[in-house]
Amino acid sequence: MSARNPAIELEGVNKWFGAFHALKDVTLSVAEGERVVVCGPSGSGKSTMIRCVNQLERHQAGEIRIHGRSYGRSAREDEAIRRDTGMVFQQFNLFPHMTVLENCTYALTWVKQLPEAEAKRIAMSHLERVRIPEQAPKYPLQLSGGQQQRVAIARALCMQPRIMLFDEPTSALDPEMIKEVLDVMVELAGSGMTMVVVTHEMGFARQVADRVVFMDQGEVVEQAPPREFFANPRFDRTRMFLSQIL
Amino acid sequence: MPDHATPAEIFRPRPAAPPPPNTIGVAGWLRANLFSSIPNTLLTLVGAWILYVVVDAVLGWAVFNAVWDAPNRRACLDQVGRAGACWPGVIAWIPNLIYGLYPKDEVWRINLGAALLVLWAVPLWLPAVRSKVAIGLSLVLLFPFLASYLFLGGIKGPVWAALVALGLSGLLWTWLTVVTEWRTGLSFVALVARVLGGPEPDAPRARWVARLTWAALYATAFVLVWGWELRPVPTQVWGGLFLTLVISGIGITFSLPAGVLLALGRRSRMPLIRAFCVAFIELFRSVPLITILFMFNTMLPLFLPAGVEVDRLLRAIVAVCLFAAAYMAEVVRGGLQAIPKGQYEAAAAMGLGYWQSMTLVILPQALKIMIPTIVGNFIGLFKDTTLVSIIGLLDLLSMARAVGEDSTWLGLFIEPFFFITLIYFVFCFAMSQYSMNLERRLGAGQRR
Repeated sequence: MSARNPAIELEGVNKWFGAFHALKDVTLSVAEGERVVVCGPSGSGKSTMIRCVNQLERHQAGEIRIHGRSYGRSAREDEAIRRDTGMVFQQFNLFPHMTVLENCTYALTWVKQLPEAEAKRIAMSHLERVRIPEQAPKYPLQLSGGQQQRVAIARALCMQPRIMLFDEPTSALDPEMIKEVLDVMVELAGSGMTMVVVTHEMGFARQVADRVVFMDQGEVVEQAPPREFFANPRFDRTRMFLSQIL
Repeated sequence: MPDHATPAEIFRPRPAAPPPPNTIGVAGWLRANLFSSIPNTLLTLVGAWILYVVVDAVLGWAVFNAVWDAPNRRACLDQVGRAGACWPGVIAWIPNLIYGLYPKDEVWRINLGAALLVLWAVPLWLPAVRSKVAIGLSLVLLFPFLASYLFLGGIKGPVWAALVALGLSGLLWTWLTVVTEWRTGLSFVALVARVLGGPEPDAPRARWVARLTWAALYATAFVLVWGWELRPVPTQVWGGLFLTLVISGIGITFSLPAGVLLALGRRSRMPLIRAFCVAFIELFRSVPLITILFMFNTMLPLFLPAGVEVDRLLRAIVAVCLFAAAYMAEVVRGGLQAIPKGQYEAAAAMGLGYWQSMTLVILPQALKIMIPTIVGNFIGLFKDTTLVSIIGLLDLLSMARAVGEDSTWLGLFIEPFFFITLIYFVFCFAMSQYSMNLERRLGAGQRR
């Protein structure tokens, strides 16, 4: 794995919300094609960390590099770097006033300036990949939560990012719908996409993760391959956390 | 897979049963809404009686006992006294109520302006037309130039002529495009470029053809406008429904975009822009419209250098626009705040810039949820224009008051007020119905 280039590098990243110290010297590296699952109790900074990776939150100290390019030089360059990443949110955040297809095509036509037919072709191919091409003409609120989240994944994939970020993608879903979303994510992992997934789905971590990162109080407590992480966690805090969720 | 001791039973959901018969249909509706209990029944009967008394009195006065033909008010009073309305006075004054003191033989210009407005707006509802956004924008931005010359007339300098020509070329382009899009699906300029410049729309030759087409269109309009001169009609004689519609129409079309910009500015991260927007909004919202009208009417000339005369109507329009924009800004801001943060984040994560995410993602949703309030504001603005009568403009209300001051119809006040009440009602009710229709259409498919 060390032979692969790093896709994401965080070095001594610090973030405050007012006086609250949300990320404390977070240092983390994710290689190209690597699948990393981030877990930890709520308020541990895992969402903040993943949101700093695509600069939805700006970090105040430290450095974040995506494929070797760091944020903070100019707004235009930040925008270009951000396009390497696709983001899937806990609340889906689909645009309710556009159809499923338009949700997928609008960024292609407006940001990438592709012709309409080409955008539609790309969008349909990704909707097929998440197995809901037949829902294309519907509006998001007519779909189930699991279907909406799969649309959100397709929408992010349309921009052809090299890194996919998932911020608790299954936490807002009914138990019966979690699996259909995880299946899509497993398939995606199999295609060699670099993935950082914040989740409590430990089954998913076991199945596809190359590495599990455990965070608490804004710090990375420990990180290890899943087998080792679940069988033999080093810290008491990790053991306590695992005993509560498993 | 856990081992089960017995084989699983098969669960079959029951079919849905129809509702009980007395809860549906007309009888069910009456029972549920009007006669569900004794107090409710009593209220229904009292309500029906009040409705009967009011409608009977109004119809009796306005229709059954009314006088429809009389030479003056005295004759009306001799026939029915005060038991019936005296409509001949209103009928004689209808042209004035609608056009104010606009010269009678020039009134066709107002009618033509209204017809052009309709003609320009009709393509927005035709399904075959694809360039609806461009047509809508051209209507809002260019129609005022054309209409203002039509209504004002007079000698136009080259700049004025150029602007009017812009208006006319917009109208020509709109209808040429309607025809070409209906026949071929291409806008007029794109069609000419295709025919003369080859099939590649981005080839340099096609671009030149497109540019030349625009130039030719504009030149045609300019030639038409140059040779066209109308008698000047000063704004002092504008009045009636026409004036009311001019002021409120401009106020409405200006207030929405200006309100959107002010609302965005108020939420901007740039302190200077934010401070300016907050100051503007709070200043204009804290002052009654009447005060603003007075300020603009009496005090503005004091600040202007000697010899600079700003038309009184223009002053009133500017005052109304600024006032309406400040109110609209707060309405739009309310809508912006109702949009979840996740929508902004999703737009940003997809690589959309500030203006793209605002125009494509945030504003369509924010404006949609604010339609009732926005249209409410429009209706309020439409009615508020009656205040311009205070600074001496002859709007619909002033003209209605003038009927009773006419020596033939001296003292005839109730009938013209009743009549303009109906006019106001028709316009406001139409706006409100249209907004509800719009809400339903935009909401279709987005509800769960």
